[in-house]
Amino acid sequence: MSYLHLSFYSAFTLSSLGLAFHRTHLISALLCLESMMLSMYIALTMWPIQTQTSSPTMLPIIMLTFSACEAGTGLALLVASARTHGSDHLHNFNLLQC
Amino acid sequence: TISSNHWILAWAGLEINTLAVLPLISKSHHPRAVEAATKYFLVQAAASALLLFSSMTNAWHTGQWDITQLTNSTSSLILTSAIAMKLGLAPFHFWFPEVLQGSPLITGLLLSTAMKFPPITLLYMTSSSLNPTLLTIMAILSTALGGWMGLNQTQIRKTLAFSSISHLGWMAIIITYYPKLALLNFYLYTLITTAVFLTLNTTKVLKLSTLMTAWTKTPALTAILMMTLLSLAGLPPLTGFLPKWLIIQELTKQEMAPAATIISLFSLLSLFFYLRLAYCSTITLPPHTTNHMKLWHTN
Repeated sequence: MSYLHLSFYSAFTLSSLGLAFHRTHLISALLCLESMMLSMYIALTMWPIQTQTSSPTMLPIIMLTFSACEAGTGLALLVASARTHGSDHLHNFNLLQC
Repeated sequence: TISSNHWILAWAGLEINTLAVLPLISKSHHPRAVEAATKYFLVQAAASALLLFSSMTNAWHTGQWDITQLTNSTSSLILTSAIAMKLGLAPFHFWFPEVLQGSPLITGLLLSTAMKFPPITLLYMTSSSLNPTLLTIMAILSTALGGWMGLNQTQIRKTLAFSSISHLGWMAIIITYYPKLALLNFYLYTLITTAVFLTLNTTKVLKLSTLMTAWTKTPALTAILMMTLLSLAGLPPLTGFLPKWLIIQELTKQEMAPAATIISLFSLLSLFFYLRLAYCSTITLPPHTTNHMKLWHTN
């Protein structure tokens, strides 16, 4: 595994750990989601450079489009939860407990 | 997602699915619906990112993006966890009852049947390279947790969520050995669950106490609901028994008889709450649940 691969694995793993261990604010979870997508984007961009193929060069743009849509949806949900729950504190998300 | 050969297209299909169903969940702007939508979004987005990561790992190690050739073992492990998160298999099932509870009934139907179809298709397409041990552990855990956690529920949507989790356990245990049986199980489960959800939508019942008075609205429909619930439980001679029987037969052929025994014992737990639902819908007259001294809690 080269140094490049290691950096992407660690970036993605750190972001996913940040998503898993978020504590108070919803927006930190959304931020970690975005950083996962960013690391995937850079990894996808490096791939056709490493393997010298020119056909998957458009894949990063497509991936970025979808992740932008997802980020927008996440922010819309943040706004909606701020309107109904009052804040984005995750402690307030307990209406649906068993 | 179903007809794709390239991982990026599969990922794009799953993303579109997630984004499309989110407004359906939060349509009514009730706080519970918004909270359910937020939880659904976080889980599904994280699972999609993990899926993309596993396909990227596979691409780096093998040089290609074909779905049917997932040969790297790390990447198949990560893929299995990502799809388990999307489906609601234990130990990634914690979001599913709450999301199903917060969504309207027809959207709940969509969430438990149609939204499970693409991840199961992905498992079907990669089934030859998945790790059987991990899937067996997740399947047994799913049937156990689905049975145990569904026992104390009075909200019907949460009960149906736990029934979905246990059925997914049955599907996951057979997918590496005989994937077509998993698909058969999924189709039959979809059919029966659609019937249950549509019945509940017609009579507009959401809780166990409402279910007890539903027979006054449509007596024939509640009688059929009892049969449908027992079919979900997997009792012969109803249809729901067929996938369980075939799965147990296939597992014993693959020298996995202990796993087959454990999984059928755990589905006895879910039989209890199906029976309770059937009992409350057809055999009792409100407000008395039984003629005996012990009363079931219904509110």
